[in-house]
Amino acid sequence: MLIELKDINKTYNNGQPLHVLKGINLNIDSGEFVSIMGASGSGKSTLLNILGILDNYDTGEYYIDGRLIKGLTEKQAAAYRNSMIGFIFQSFNLIGFKTAVENVELPLFYQGVNRHKRHELAMQYLDRLGLADWARHYPNEMSGGQKQRVAIARALITSPKIILADEPTGALDSKTSEEVMQLLGQLNREDNVTIIVVTHESGVANCTDKIVHIKDGVIGKIEDNRQHRSSIFGTDTIMK
Amino acid sequence: MRFDLDSYREIADSLVRNKSRSLLTGFGVFWGIFMLLFLIGGGQGLKQLVTREFDGFATNAAIMFPSQTTKPWQGYKQGRYWNLNYTDIDRLKQMVPDLETVTPVVSSWGQTAVYGTNSITSNVKCVFADYAKIEEPSIRYGRYLNDADIAQERKVCVIGRRIYESLFPAGGDPCGSYIKVGAVYYQVVGVDFSSGNMSVQGSADEAVVIPLSLGRKIYHRGNNIDLLCVTGRSGIRMSSLENRMQQILARSHNFDPTDKQAVFIINTEQMFSLMDNLFTGLNFLIWLVGLGTILAGIIGVSNIMMVTVRERTIEIGIRRAIGATPRDILSQIILESIALTLAAGSLGIIFAVQMLRLTQTIVNNLPDMSATFQISFWTAVAAAALLTVLGVIAGLAPASRAMNIKPVDAMRDE
Repeated sequence: MLIELKDINKTYNNGQPLHVLKGINLNIDSGEFVSIMGASGSGKSTLLNILGILDNYDTGEYYIDGRLIKGLTEKQAAAYRNSMIGFIFQSFNLIGFKTAVENVELPLFYQGVNRHKRHELAMQYLDRLGLADWARHYPNEMSGGQKQRVAIARALITSPKIILADEPTGALDSKTSEEVMQLLGQLNREDNVTIIVVTHESGVANCTDKIVHIKDGVIGKIEDNRQHRSSIFGTDTIMK
Repeated sequence: MRFDLDSYREIADSLVRNKSRSLLTGFGVFWGIFMLLFLIGGGQGLKQLVTREFDGFATNAAIMFPSQTTKPWQGYKQGRYWNLNYTDIDRLKQMVPDLETVTPVVSSWGQTAVYGTNSITSNVKCVFADYAKIEEPSIRYGRYLNDADIAQERKVCVIGRRIYESLFPAGGDPCGSYIKVGAVYYQVVGVDFSSGNMSVQGSADEAVVIPLSLGRKIYHRGNNIDLLCVTGRSGIRMSSLENRMQQILARSHNFDPTDKQAVFIINTEQMFSLMDNLFTGLNFLIWLVGLGTILAGIIGVSNIMMVTVRERTIEIGIRRAIGATPRDILSQIILESIALTLAAGSLGIIFAVQMLRLTQTIVNNLPDMSATFQISFWTAVAAAALLTVLGVIAGLAPASRAMNIKPVDAMRDE
């Protein structure tokens, strides 16, 4: 098992205690393409933050590749994020004053890879995502789909075990949404990367192989979706 | 901390991105360091200019001369004139053992000195050989008056710089030449080039110094002397002797010992300590103003960095999410702060050095002025080091705020 969650509980204590995750048990194997689906407030973002070591949990155990992720220092957490996890955000979260290639290089910069090598690698990934011509452009000169592809390149460059995508299509139209989802599927199949997509759109979830439904902090049903038939709207395209 | 070309480029980029903001903030630091260095240099130059005026003058000395009495005493009316005389010399020497030198001066103003076809108006100063302890001569040619000159009433003189330059425009050693001052010929035995502007009975530049034993006869002064100069033994403060000397003079010349105005006592020890205090005060002020201005600039930098960090919350969050450690963020913010402070400060140092150079050139072109205004190299290095430290300090608060930004904030702030 690549990812093992055992009875994860998380409570926010902002004034009134809010029990967000109420004992989550989930296993995700290497090479899976999983979506976590739920309405807003269901706890899916919190779950994603815990999976991404961006947030800590109160009780339970979380293993990545057999390693317990608990009580890490900021430095260790940063190192794990850097080497094991790639993030794709809803709002792309590219750094506006850096060009596409500089954005893609950034994770390697924090790994201490030398300048020449990381530039070369970043260009390789951009080329693979069909953005080689756009390498010297700034994010505000690109379309949403292009931006998300830059973000995907940035997530891939450290060759992480897991890619976490938080509403990766949230800011895209249906056509580009579909392209992005197909790209993720292709990466999953060709590179055998484990991809976890958090979404509330059934059409997006339908593109994945396994759908984990989360509701009110507990996992409801886990659907096998290798046939991509879960959503009647999502059979041909992503509905917006 | 990771250093490569990109780290520096990033710092430069983020400073250049907000050009006007960086400029305005940097100006505070620039002006602060300029003020501090310029004031330090200016204060030092001023001190040199002032100290030069007192060059060669005994620092623990007093000059006394009689004046009208202002109080009646033992049947004498007020407003009486009295004179110092030669007996006072021995009297003071014997009764105040803490005095090292007691030496009289008699002078005659406005005497024409002539050599060949050249002439100049001079002041004749009649002194004993030990007068050199009061106003230290800076002998260029020949010698100062000695005891033999005094004892034998030789017609010899030591001439001041301006007299020498006017009477001997061709230069060279004038010793042995005879100059005529008033109605008498004197042989020149020495030339005094002392530069100080503080002197007794007229500037040393325009003085013709002759033996007092001779002068009292030539100018018919009898037993009277114009003024008495005294110096204290080392370790004795002149101020502590002042009152005693006043008492002794009052008793022997029959005026009220409490009559402070009957005898003028100019105390150089007091003057010098006053001057020292003045410059200590001035220095304190310089540092207060200079450091205060820099501090204001640094607070400005700190403030702007705070704003920058707030603006860049998302960016910092993204960096954290993709693997930047808190230390990476800390060093980035602090390096930015140092870069801004140091860049602005270096310009300030350069500007201050240029302004001081200009000041020095202007002042040294004035007649009779010379002083070093320029700060030393090490002062500039220390200033640069100070700037670096201040840059770190300015970056601390913003950096700690940046470190507290969690990666989740990047996703939350939309």
